[in-house]
Amino acid sequence: MGVLNKDKSGLKGSFTTMVSESRQTTDTNSNSTALAVKNLSKIYDSVSGKVVALDNINFTVKKGEFVSIVGPSGSGKSTLLNMIGALDRPTSGQVYINGIDIFALSDSKIATMRNGLIGFIFQSFNLINRTTVLKNVKLPGMISGMPVSEANNRAMKILEALGIADKATQKPVNLSGGQQQRVAIARSLVNNPAIVLADEPTGNLDSKTGDDVFDMLKTLSRKFKRTIIMVTHNPELAESTDRSILIKDGKVERDVAN
Amino acid sequence: MHPTDIFSLSFDALVDRKVRTVLTVLMVVLGSSLVVVLNGLSAGQAEFLANQFSALAANVIYVGSGQHSYHGSSSPASIIINNAIVSKMRTLPYVEDVVPGYSGSAQIDSQGNTQRISITAMDPTKLAVILPNLQFVDGSTIKPNDPGSALVGDTIANPPGATTPFVVVGQTIKATYSYTDASGKQQQQVKNFIVSGVMQPSGNTRIDSSIVINLDAGNQLLHKSTKYDQIVVAAISPDYVDTVQQELIDQYGKTLGVTTPKSIMAVTQKAASGNAAFTLMVGIIALVVGAVGIVTTLYNSVTERIREIGTMKAIGAQNGDILQLFIVEAALIGIIGASLGIIIGMGAGYVLSIFTTTSVPGSGQIHIPPIYVPSDLLKVWLLSVTLSLAAGIYPAWKASRLSPMVALRRE
Ligand SMILES: Nc1ncnc2c1ncn2[C@@H]1O[C@H](COP(=O)(O)OP(=O)(O)OP(=O)(O)O)[C@@H](O)[C@H]1O
Ligand SMILES: [Mg+2]
Repeated sequence: MGVLNKDKSGLKGSFTTMVSESRQTTDTNSNSTALAVKNLSKIYDSVSGKVVALDNINFTVKKGEFVSIVGPSGSGKSTLLNMIGALDRPTSGQVYINGIDIFALSDSKIATMRNGLIGFIFQSFNLINRTTVLKNVKLPGMISGMPVSEANNRAMKILEALGIADKATQKPVNLSGGQQQRVAIARSLVNNPAIVLADEPTGNLDSKTGDDVFDMLKTLSRKFKRTIIMVTHNPELAESTDRSILIKDGKVERDVAN
Repeated sequence: MHPTDIFSLSFDALVDRKVRTVLTVLMVVLGSSLVVVLNGLSAGQAEFLANQFSALAANVIYVGSGQHSYHGSSSPASIIINNAIVSKMRTLPYVEDVVPGYSGSAQIDSQGNTQRISITAMDPTKLAVILPNLQFVDGSTIKPNDPGSALVGDTIANPPGATTPFVVVGQTIKATYSYTDASGKQQQQVKNFIVSGVMQPSGNTRIDSSIVINLDAGNQLLHKSTKYDQIVVAAISPDYVDTVQQELIDQYGKTLGVTTPKSIMAVTQKAASGNAAFTLMVGIIALVVGAVGIVTTLYNSVTERIREIGTMKAIGAQNGDILQLFIVEAALIGIIGASLGIIIGMGAGYVLSIFTTTSVPGSGQIHIPPIYVPSDLLKVWLLSVTLSLAAGIYPAWKASRLSPMVALRRE
């Protein structure tokens, strides 16, 4: 499983430059900080009026930390995760990943950041069903322009580590939900991201399979020091993470270590 | 992304929607093959026409009953073309020679085989006036004053598809001319000829499918009562063709048709190119319809794959990557469709040309094979691929501009 520890030297160089640049302008970036969210707000304009989905959110996440985000439905958990993952621009505020002020960048650079710094795991897996498991896992590597042989190697090693190497040539639709989510986890790891973001990764799974997938994330955190932020409705799972942030009405209601 | 990765993802997407892909490719195939068929057939026709006239001397003028009657129309002339007219034409300025002739069609028999053929009756030594490059097979002799000898055209001597010649030099053929007499009864006139020569292919289908006999024999066999069907007037050089033609039109234009190979060719080629332009339009419309099909297919594809596009963007795909994925899909459809279309079009054009043999006056049904010019095929290919690409641009652009959030939230 050594592959999960290895840094991608190519990307690291350029990130470090950006880190050192942004260090001068912000105090929330020490070497041990993976993520800093500063004064983050998101207001949606919808037909029924303005919706304040996020209201001045502040917190930081240390490298290697496993954080759960909990809260009632509609409280803004997914919105928060999507902002951290740079899927959408906030109305105001900043998100720093590895010290980089993500939203100060152009859309194209943001896409590059998503590809290199962030690993996404979705509730409904979001795999590309017409192509093989291996190609799904390789996809972030392919997008980053990783050499084919390296992408293949990395993808296969991660699939082995997650115990589904034998499914590499199958189509995701032929796999069980738990297996599909493992493929999604593998995909999130292939570019060796700074943070893994998971929005209710066990939400579509039965409790036994959900526990397996959660254990896998836990292993990633413990053994391989991955930084993970997970949205969950399951209080037991939340308690098993390092720290839980409770969101209510778009605000941080509580932020406790477990 | 590496081009190979883009290609393999696009290819996967097309394979995933087999039926729709096949149907879209089919639309491109139809459009491009239609253009190829129409182009090939009209090029074949044009080439055929050009061949007909290239063999003919450039300094000759045809005078005959009715308009454009160098083939010898059967409609009666309003004046009788006789030796008096021939003699008068010889005295016109810049006229080098005047060759009168009879024409008709008959059945010939040789050793149990039968053919319907054209008959050209004229002074056989004057063939060179009309067809300067005409060659004869070895052993041929031209006998101007022998009413019992005949020169046989290549298509008659060696019928297309036959393994043995119909007739060779020295053999006898029996010609049967059928006509209706004054009392309305069917009559037959029969005459035997010895084949004194066989003409090599001249390119002119009329001569190639004719036997040439002398004037006396023609007059007798075809019951012409010394009324000529046509006169070939040769000017002293091609430079004087227009002058002589004008003189002939001034004198006989009201009663006789006066034409030159050049003017017949100009008329037929104009008609042919008008046809070609029309058929090409039809083909291009078909191609545009195919392009609309591609727009629909790819547009649907974008709608269906919105989540997938969202996912791709979430894991870092650039707008350009998504754009390329969809454009490559369009290009693949275009390239496969255009390539198949050209191959199928070439085959279909050939098959069609067999079933739609062209009737040429005096020569029966003629198979004019299509002609495929490589540079034209390349143009059709490029046009099809370009149209396909153009059709792919809008859906691809739409897809690339989707915000990842919006795309992921869409079910
Ligand atoms: N694109 C959007 N346009 C308009 N309103 C939105 C949009 N996305 C989210 N919202 C609103 O923002 C609020 C927060 O939504 P969000 O999806 O973040 O909640 P959540 O905490 O993830 O809920 P759940 O637990 O049900 O997933 C909700 O009121 C939602 O309706
Ligand atoms: Mg949510």
